[in-house]
Amino acid sequence: RVSSDGKPPKFQPPPKPVIIDRKTQKEERRFLSPEFIPPRGRTDPLKYYIERKDMIQRRKVFIIPEFYVGHVLAVTTADPFASDKSNRFVGICIQRGGKGLGATFVLRNVIEDQGVEICYDLYSPRIQALEVLKLEKRLDENLLYLRDALPEYSTFDVNMRPVPRMDHEEIPVNRLQVRMKPKPWSKRWERPKYNIKGIKFELPEHKMKAAQKWSQPWLEFDMLREYDTSKIEEKIRKELSEELEK
Amino acid sequence: MMPIWTKSGEKRAVTLLKVQDCHVLRYVSKEESGGKTAKLLVGGKNVSPFSKPESAHEIFKEAGVPRKQKVTTFNVTDDAIIKPGTPLYAAHFRPGQFVDVTAKTIGKGFQGVVKRWGFKGQPASHGQTKTHRRPGAISTNKAAKVYRGKKMPGKMGNIYRTSFGLKVWRINTKHDIIYVNGSVPGHTNCLVKVRDSKLPTYKDCNKNPPFPTFFADGDEELPEDLFDEEIFQFTDPSVTFA
Repeated sequence: RVSSDGKPPKFQPPPKPVIIDRKTQKEERRFLSPEFIPPRGRTDPLKYYIERKDMIQRRKVFIIPEFYVGHVLAVTTADPFASDKSNRFVGICIQRGGKGLGATFVLRNVIEDQGVEICYDLYSPRIQALEVLKLEKRLDENLLYLRDALPEYSTFDVNMRPVPRMDHEEIPVNRLQVRMKPKPWSKRWERPKYNIKGIKFELPEHKMKAAQKWSQPWLEFDMLREYDTSKIEEKIRKELSEELEK
Repeated sequence: MMPIWTKSGEKRAVTLLKVQDCHVLRYVSKEESGGKTAKLLVGGKNVSPFSKPESAHEIFKEAGVPRKQKVTTFNVTDDAIIKPGTPLYAAHFRPGQFVDVTAKTIGKGFQGVVKRWGFKGQPASHGQTKTHRRPGAISTNKAAKVYRGKKMPGKMGNIYRTSFGLKVWRINTKHDIIYVNGSVPGHTNCLVKVRDSKLPTYKDCNKNPPFPTFFADGDEELPEDLFDEEIFQFTDPSVTFA
């Protein structure tokens, strides 16, 4: 540009770079494994505290990765009857159950046209390695309907390579709508009590409408069923982060 | 209840029992009680003194101890007598020991014969008129009476029952918790009496237990957690089979 005096324009320093601190951003999305949250009941909180100490102790020795329902995992367990004393199983995590040390997760895969589901204990000492092969959340919290879906949705390659992923990215949600085998199913998945969003229902309209007869719209307003875990979660997160840093 | 794993990778279920403010209250000698051995009265779990009259507080005042919710008797040999007022801790038991646990079972109220005694009842259909969970016949013709102790509907539960021969897997000395194998009668947070096992297979099981009991002000310094040999401790790496 031409300045008024004819001299070269005044030196404008470049704008300061905006530093996006990835660490603080990551801390905002903190994951607390669901088995740490104690259920509602009349047991002494001391029992949960002691169980948590054991769980933290195990996590210090063996790293349990963050995973949700819908991730594809590979589990290597110690097997006294196998030839090389270990057994590797790859599958999609259908459900995560149990609280405390007895937390379990069920992996499903279809091997040679036979559907196989194995329920593993998260804190079992026989688990030697737990790798997350593919990270993706699904629309539902439990994928038990995959038993009645077409087998292609449950098959995963046993020698699958882990999908690379950046640490700070959000876990992608797979909005896949699964196609089902013809009825009868093991459970009536179209009923509102299961609240499944991941199935592409190809049932006639009148059947979907008839299923809504079992809906209980008052349940979401029931205050006695509310279990606010935010404060409990905060305390447990603090405890976890302190203990794991030691 | 909690899962526990052995060194070979097997899973066992374990009940946690907390030793809360247990004190020895009184020593009753063999002649005084009229039994075969001397007795020690032990009380557990402190409770407010205001809900009972002063006359009930005598035992506790003698021992110098706040009022306890439950007082039980233990039959002891003469060399195991403890002075009244001594506190009892979970370290009295050691891992690898076998133990009997007594407690009041969960009360189910007035229950019918099918739930209470496990009778089969009658079929649901094929002409049964108003008879599906009834006891049926209660005696024979020749007896001409109903025998004493006939199983009939009544109040079920809320009685003392014992589980015998439970193994102690682990002891937490800091919080006074005993990890006992399997399940134990009673609901969560109920009062429970733990005793050395009287089963003949476990008579010689205790190797050097703290005798007569574990004294906290003694010289012995115990670690926070005492484990049995077969337990998998979480500080070890994962189990591998050679």
